[in-house]
Amino acid sequence: MIVDTNVQPHFGYNAEIRQYLPDAHKLRSIPDVEQQWYQAPGGDYRRDLYGEHYPGSDPETVSRHLFEDGGVDYAILNPLTRGNIADYLLNSRICAAVNDWLLDRWLQPDTSNRFRGTIRVNPEDPKGAVGEIERLAGHPKLLQVGVPMQSREPYGKPMFEPIWEAAAAHGLPVAVHINGGNGVDHPPTFAGHAHTYPGYAAFMPLNYFVHLATLIVEGMFARHPGLKFVFADGGYDILTPLMWRLDTFWLSMRDQTPWVDRYPSEYLPGHVRFCSSAFDGPIEAGKMRRWMDFTGKADLLMYGSSYPHWSTSPPDVMATELEGLDDSQRDNVLWRNASELYGLKESVG
Amino acid sequence: MLQRRFVCTLDELPPGGMKLVDVGKFGVGVYNVRGALYAIVNYCSHQGAPLCQGMIGGTNESDPDEPDRLRRVRDGQIVRCPWHNWEFDVTTGQNVADPQRRVRTYQVDVAGGEVYLTA
Repeated sequence: MIVDTNVQPHFGYNAEIRQYLPDAHKLRSIPDVEQQWYQAPGGDYRRDLYGEHYPGSDPETVSRHLFEDGGVDYAILNPLTRGNIADYLLNSRICAAVNDWLLDRWLQPDTSNRFRGTIRVNPEDPKGAVGEIERLAGHPKLLQVGVPMQSREPYGKPMFEPIWEAAAAHGLPVAVHINGGNGVDHPPTFAGHAHTYPGYAAFMPLNYFVHLATLIVEGMFARHPGLKFVFADGGYDILTPLMWRLDTFWLSMRDQTPWVDRYPSEYLPGHVRFCSSAFDGPIEAGKMRRWMDFTGKADLLMYGSSYPHWSTSPPDVMATELEGLDDSQRDNVLWRNASELYGLKESVG
Repeated sequence: MLQRRFVCTLDELPPGGMKLVDVGKFGVGVYNVRGALYAIVNYCSHQGAPLCQGMIGGTNESDPDEPDRLRRVRDGQIVRCPWHNWEFDVTTGQNVADPQRRVRTYQVDVAGGEVYLTA
């Protein structure tokens, strides 16, 4: 069994989203999903997918590539929205439109029963986000809540707590993924704006750690035992030293955050997962197995292709990249961790 | 070999006080916590700092009902290491964050108004 936990379906063309917006918002200008400052030099998507419509926008083509060519059993669709738009009510409508489109174009017509989906919500509108979770949480094919990596406050802050509480109450993990579009955002690195694509792409995913650290330190996981976060852009290669830092500070400064009732790293197995990224990990395969055991990553990592992104790794390529892993580690990454998190069973049907 | 030795008179070690005794390699701190006597080694289990030089006070627990979500507890029995702030409960020798990271404790007794340490 193989579960691909990170697939980005796209609208066929930018304005297609208007079909799913209510009249009050139909004429608003909305950033293009591709509208961002750092584009991969050779194109953001797999080269052979360029055509009349956006790559990853035709369910039949995506099915063929993932399920037939790749041998994937389940694919979890996590669509992008259009950035942290200052009009947060409009942004919430965009999230709802993306969700309605995902159901209409992808999940409901899928008779193969292999696609699963994400409820996109806007964290800058906590009430609207909770409402959107309540509206859609019962759908059997919607397995998680999705929020952008880009945020003007880290996700451990208390204003977000009602959203995480609602997700946990419905047993839905919260997936954090770098968003499309262009909104009111901080620079992508801690030190400001990058110049080149590698400068952006190497460091932007690492912002996850600020979200993760504040979720732990603010006691979000301690207060919500069912709350789970999936960091969908990887970044697990830096997990170990950063958890060492958090654990060390906790031993010294525990009295400032006594609701953190165990070593910060001890929250990981019960609350945190990562999607694989082609960029993470040692370059030499010989170091892979030992590296994977640091901080128990073999229990945290789930295969995610990022299809149709240019760096997408189909399962056979991923298996090569994971060559240094032992069988149990490889099974964990390719399907077992995802199967347990999302409750996906071996037989599709 | 443990040996029972005179520390000071009880009058010289009032509640809240500490006497550092020159015994063993690192010394032992004898504490009066609200009238009861305890002793710990003057050597932090982290990196060997002179632990008994640290401030003695309380620590914080989580209290969801308070505006700052904090409650002050164990006042007078928590020593904070002067190097990295690790907290130890002098009544048990246990680190507050991780009880398995403990420091050694010793027997203290009072006889005829005099404090004795067995170390």
